[in-house]
Amino acid sequence: MSEEQSFRVLVVDDDPDMAAFLALLLKKEGMRTDIVQDGDSALVRVMSDPPDLILLDVMLPGITGFEICQRLKSEEATALIPIVLITGLEDQQSRIRGIESGADDFLSKPVKREELVARVKTLRRLHETRKELESRRLAAEVERKEAIRKTFSRYISPRLADRIIGDTGQSSDIFAKAQRSQVVAMFADLRGFTSLTERTEVGRVVEMLNEYFSILSEAAYRYEATIFNMAGDALLVGFNVPFPQDKPAERAYHCAREMLTRFAPIAAQWEAEQGIGTGVGIGICMGEAVIGNVGSPHYMSYTIIGNPVNSAARLMQLAQPYEVLVCDEVYKCLRDIVPAAQIEARGDVTLRGRTDPIKVYNVKVPLPEATAARA
Amino acid sequence: MAEINYTAVVAKDLEDLIPVFISNRTKEVDLLRTAAGAGDYEQLSQIGHRMKGVGNSYGFAPISDFGKLIEDNAKKSDKAAIDGVIGAYVEYLSRVRIVYE
Repeated sequence: MSEEQSFRVLVVDDDPDMAAFLALLLKKEGMRTDIVQDGDSALVRVMSDPPDLILLDVMLPGITGFEICQRLKSEEATALIPIVLITGLEDQQSRIRGIESGADDFLSKPVKREELVARVKTLRRLHETRKELESRRLAAEVERKEAIRKTFSRYISPRLADRIIGDTGQSSDIFAKAQRSQVVAMFADLRGFTSLTERTEVGRVVEMLNEYFSILSEAAYRYEATIFNMAGDALLVGFNVPFPQDKPAERAYHCAREMLTRFAPIAAQWEAEQGIGTGVGIGICMGEAVIGNVGSPHYMSYTIIGNPVNSAARLMQLAQPYEVLVCDEVYKCLRDIVPAAQIEARGDVTLRGRTDPIKVYNVKVPLPEATAARA
Repeated sequence: MAEINYTAVVAKDLEDLIPVFISNRTKEVDLLRTAAGAGDYEQLSQIGHRMKGVGNSYGFAPISDFGKLIEDNAKKSDKAAIDGVIGAYVEYLSRVRIVYE
């Protein structure tokens, strides 16, 4: 099919001779034409197979051309299709009604072929310019979203990035303004890393760290956490931010569990390779925190600040390899989903930097036997 | 009275459409006669309106003229005038000579 013939015109006229006449003239101009003879068929055809232009008779059996025009122009999917109303009614009132119904142009019967061709060609040019502009706008929009996605994907899961990109409402403010909200903060830290760096060739250390962080960040993304910081061998992620989430403490627990179980075989491999035991210690705490961009005009970081973050960091420091230590608030969310035998109360603990003690629990994660023995 | 011969100058590219067009005019005459016999002025007005649009588009200007007369007289419910126009239309169709240019 040639480019010319790709322009499709729907002729709507109950007079077969008039419809055949119009179709013939348009075919001579290299356009494809379809003919329907009543309003209902026209609406069905336009909805199922939208043309590039509609030549629409006003006097039709059933729904009039005015009504069809009005309906199509009020639908988002069809509003931009140019419509030429063809009428024998030459009085001003009919033209006004046509304009009110949204018609793009008019032709009077008897139709003069030169006039028909000129009007259709003009509308075709306008339509194609509009389509070109629309496709450029869409391409720019896709580019913009891709840029945002790339930027966001360092912090958040692809699904969360899609939600932010797709939401034209409050999401635009999420990274621009600081917010205070209930969060679940989780710190994870690689144990044995210092010994590993001392005894292992630097290139291999980087490979190992990448492997370790890949496992942790994949688990974080699976549970739609936001990654706030990756420093040395520690990772800070948050749940319930930047959007509220269903059961954020449970998400954090499942995320921690996946981190430990997926890391266990890697640690075994490293131990066999380097002779050094490693493990991951995790601390989870929940409460109110401030989330936002912090820094200077030269360097800014999207981060999370507050007591739950500090407490999670201290719990992580206390945690032994493959331990998940949680505060009382997180424990209360987990006690119904984790068997009691897997929860060990550690009593009241005064964390470094805090004056009041907090209740601490070790939520045990079922691990492969060999890993559990090493832990 | 001398017979009037009518000539319709039709665009060459419409030639393939003309047999169907003429056939439809014959059917149109039947519809007009039926509607006139029944005093169905609404139907007469619609047919006249359609004739007005299609005639001149194909190069048959008198068909548009007959259509306008039928539409106008239907609005006045003037059966005698309509019968006269139908008669003239029939005569035109029987005498018209088509020239393709």
